[in-house]
Amino acid sequence: MAHIWPIGGGKGGTGKSFLTGNIGIMLARQGFKTLLIDADLGSPNLHTVIGLPYPEKSLSDFFSKRLTDLEDAVLETPIPNLFLISGARNKLDVANLAFEQKKRMLRAISRLDYDYILMDLSAGTSFNTIDFFTLSGSAIFVCCPEPTSIENLYRLILSLYTRRIHHLLKSQAFRDLAEKAESLNPDANVSKPEVLLHVLKEIDPEKAGMIERILQAFQFRLVINQLRKQDKPTIGSLICQIIAKHLCLNMQFMGNVSFDERVHDGLCAKAPFVERYLYSQVTLDLRSVARGIVNGNHEQTENPLSVSQI
Amino acid sequence: MKRLQDQHFYELLNVEFNASPLDVSRAYKEHHELYREDSLASYSFFSKQERKEILAKLQEAYSTLMDEDKRYRYDRLLIERGILLEEMQFQAEHRALRRASPANHFIRNPLLKITDELKALISSNAVIQETLSYEVLSGKDLKRIRKELGISLEVIGEITKIRLIFLRAIEDDAFDIPPSRMFLKSYLKAYAQCIGLDANIVASRYLKRIDEQKLSSPTSHDHADK
Repeated sequence: MAHIWPIGGGKGGTGKSFLTGNIGIMLARQGFKTLLIDADLGSPNLHTVIGLPYPEKSLSDFFSKRLTDLEDAVLETPIPNLFLISGARNKLDVANLAFEQKKRMLRAISRLDYDYILMDLSAGTSFNTIDFFTLSGSAIFVCCPEPTSIENLYRLILSLYTRRIHHLLKSQAFRDLAEKAESLNPDANVSKPEVLLHVLKEIDPEKAGMIERILQAFQFRLVINQLRKQDKPTIGSLICQIIAKHLCLNMQFMGNVSFDERVHDGLCAKAPFVERYLYSQVTLDLRSVARGIVNGNHEQTENPLSVSQI
Repeated sequence: MKRLQDQHFYELLNVEFNASPLDVSRAYKEHHELYREDSLASYSFFSKQERKEILAKLQEAYSTLMDEDKRYRYDRLLIERGILLEEMQFQAEHRALRRASPANHFIRNPLLKITDELKALISSNAVIQETLSYEVLSGKDLKRIRKELGISLEVIGEITKIRLIFLRAIEDDAFDIPPSRMFLKSYLKAYAQCIGLDANIVASRYLKRIDEQKLSSPTSHDHADK
């Protein structure tokens, strides 16, 4: 059974594709059969991060049903054990997927035979992105130690939290709930799931208990990327504390990845960073994150992608 | 999950019911870091009003749990509400009892208030009384008195805020360690006051001994006057 990790982070440019590609390379080099999926449907570029030329087939072939089996969309890469499903040749309208198509894709993904599957997701809080998180129940978030990035991270987490509750309740019940919650908390800049759950507890304690359990089953991880020397290295664990205290979500801090000018050079050279700069701090940091993914396996005991629930 | 408004102070600061003041202040610092106005970690997560309320509640929790009387009353309230078990109250009383012993009392009482207990201890202790009858006092004498009272040097350090290296220097008669005679004198006074002795008498008898020693060997302790 594959360990499936969607990788996202709210804001663009935080290094989602960079991390996905390079951690994928590390896992593959350690002998794990690893698949990268470029699920950033609107702006795919993962193939470039790992130094692959323009791919022949891609994800949209699966959506257009030109390929019936998702496995047929898998590309080999120059790195042994590393495989890619690219998004490069996606049709331009593929960024707006129907919910059913996303379900079909996730079902197909869960049937693939790999040790690790890393999905590079797009920035923002469109349903396209959020549904991949809520449907798979796990995520690695990439965030920079900057207000803009943190703001978008919270927004993403709150959106998928709310979307998950939305899914769980009948939509009519949810609308009443949201209205009640908003009337209780008019100043909140985002609708507060904290309040949502509290209101729900009063209306229907049984449903609230169920939702709380499901929300707690989310497996979230956080990586702080582009940490400069003057930044506080504790910021990641502080963010996890806020999430745990106020959203009751299980989010673990996986580590900091240092800022390095050479990441830009590596991208321009179209060569994977961890192969080109083997002994840089960034490579060391990424290695420790990859180790965290491997060591943390026992925590992901139940398949987060429980398709039966979808 | 309990909302922040519904949490009691121990939950809010995430400390045990028997947390020491040090634990409480450490927890408060950590939480303040998380919620303060310009905290990066919680940026955009709270509205201005929410943040204000959280900070006010943290402040209230801190000031209640740091004050022994307020904390006792608060614990009683929690017991009445069935949140805190009688068992824990027992522990709290035990905590209060421990504090009643002279040495621990001082930890809780940074105001250097000398209790009747400590004074009684001094007047009833033969070894201390004998030592106090000496014309001059050495570091060894002070150490003996302190040991009789059962107060550690660390406790004195914590109360007087004098570095341990200087307190040790007093007891070891290492006059060259304090920066000057004036510093030595004020350290002596604070030390004496802290263990319930007359500050002026102790300081003058101790310094007198140094002066006598200096007269007998003028070169060896010259630098004590610097």
